Amino acid sequence: MTTTQTLSRAELLKQLRTTHAESVKRAQELLKEQKKMQQELCAVFREKARTVPEAAESTGIPANKVLWFVAAMKKYGVVVEAGMCGDYPLYKKAEEEA
Amino acid sequence: MDNLHMDALVVGGGIAGMQSALDLADQGFQVALVEREASIGGRMITLSKVFPTLDCCSCITTPKMSAVTHHPNIHLFTYCEVQSVQEHGAGFDISILQKPRYVDVSKCTGCRDCEYECPITVPNPFDRNLGAYRAIRVPFSTAVPQKAVLDPEYCLWCGKCEQRCPVDAIDFSQQPETFNIEANSIIMATGFDLTPIETKKEYGGGKLHNVIDPLMMERFLAPTGPYGRVLRPGDGKEPGSIAYVQCAGSRDDTLGITYCSRVCCMYAIKQAMLLNGALPLADITIYYMDIRTFGKGYEQFYQNAKAMGVEFVRGKVANINEDADHNPIVKVEMTDTGEIVERTHDLVVLSQGIVPASRPTVSLPLGSDGFISVPSPDSAPCVTKRPGIFVTGTAASPMDIVDSIVSASAAAAEASAYIRENNGRLEVQKEALYV
Repeated sequence: MTTTQTLSRAELLKQLRTTHAESVKRAQELLKEQKKMQQELCAVFREKARTVPEAAESTGIPANKVLWFVAAMKKYGVVVEAGMCGDYPLYKKAEEEA
Repeated sequence: MDNLHMDALVVGGGIAGMQSALDLADQGFQVALVEREASIGGRMITLSKVFPTLDCCSCITTPKMSAVTHHPNIHLFTYCEVQSVQEHGAGFDISILQKPRYVDVSKCTGCRDCEYECPITVPNPFDRNLGAYRAIRVPFSTAVPQKAVLDPEYCLWCGKCEQRCPVDAIDFSQQPETFNIEANSIIMATGFDLTPIETKKEYGGGKLHNVIDPLMMERFLAPTGPYGRVLRPGDGKEPGSIAYVQCAGSRDDTLGITYCSRVCCMYAIKQAMLLNGALPLADITIYYMDIRTFGKGYEQFYQNAKAMGVEFVRGKVANINEDADHNPIVKVEMTDTGEIVERTHDLVVLSQGIVPASRPTVSLPLGSDGFISVPSPDSAPCVTKRPGIFVTGTAASPMDIVDSIVSASAAAAEASAYIRENNGRLEVQKEALYV
């Protein structure tokens, strides 16, 4: 990619951010919230394997939201299942690459 | 793009639309298949198994998806919407909107690097929003075409996907484009939706996390489901007690849906049997008014479910509340004794009714039930009131997969006869118009 192309693409992205200002604002707020929740959840799952209700209790995030994030994090390899505790699966942070 | 001339246009790339397109294409007709989503497959590709054979849905659907995309006579247009349909002699002029994918499909290899790079996680409608994907993603693992699509509603336009893409396929300059297709006939295969869960206030109105719709349960039972196992969405518990509430949106005057949705009894029985396999210790109860097992092998399937220990309770569920642990409490009037009973379950599935999916603007008379009207349902069940336009699958009425496939082939046969009958006339008109 040439410098001119890079510049024009940067301009295009800037233009798109302006055109979609409203949805970008919504997405930015969502991303901020997601980052905060994911950091909190990663911290509790790094500590030890936990069930969804345990993670919800530790973080104060509603259990249904925790499950949604766990499903997302599991899909993208951030957390893994670590057995069962009664009727609940346990989740822990996936091994991080060195 | 120049006007395209086709023998037939099929609207909707679900099982019925794909079957119609394949049948016509195999006869040598040129077929355009238009799908509004980024992949074909429709509802069926989201399901776990079919009744009564318990064959894998993906195993039936994916070969058809592949056949559609590789057929030399089928021109596939995904992520497109029909904007308008104008009569043109015995044929039609159809205006189609191509929504921007922001991805050059000729370059994209479906590697999903962009998806892994995207920072924002969004609800995934393929998993009934219980799972997640990213603002840019390949819609699902067996999507056809296996190409990424960017959702502008969630995109931050940060450019990370573009930097990561190994083949330079991200194209932020794409715009919506309109093009025209001239087709001699149209087959409407626009599918179904469920009655909105919010409309049944007495069953929680969609506010109880552990009261779900049947398509959610299909995703839990599918190997590619959001949790990889059956868990209740409220707190991730493996349910030990699951209940089905039948006719939760069909045969219901209060919703104005007085018809039977035909498939709910069978899919509830099928899911109960699959749950019996996935969770052998779970108690499964089906609350029903009456069980309708009309198809070949269906009654035996019902008897098998009873023999496997699924409990069938004849009663009408009055309401559903929840206890402090978010366990749904079902209040049911037992039909045979008149007794009112309250039972607590871990998870409740509402067998919601089937309503027509939103359709493109094609001026077609509808029946009182909202489905596309068919003047002679007994003798010509796919022929609409508008010559040259045919209907198939659940766009016509609630029906199961077997009947949808039969209906799709019937619609293709009707369209084929119409095209042959009018072909000479259309050719003459085309010459008159374009000479």
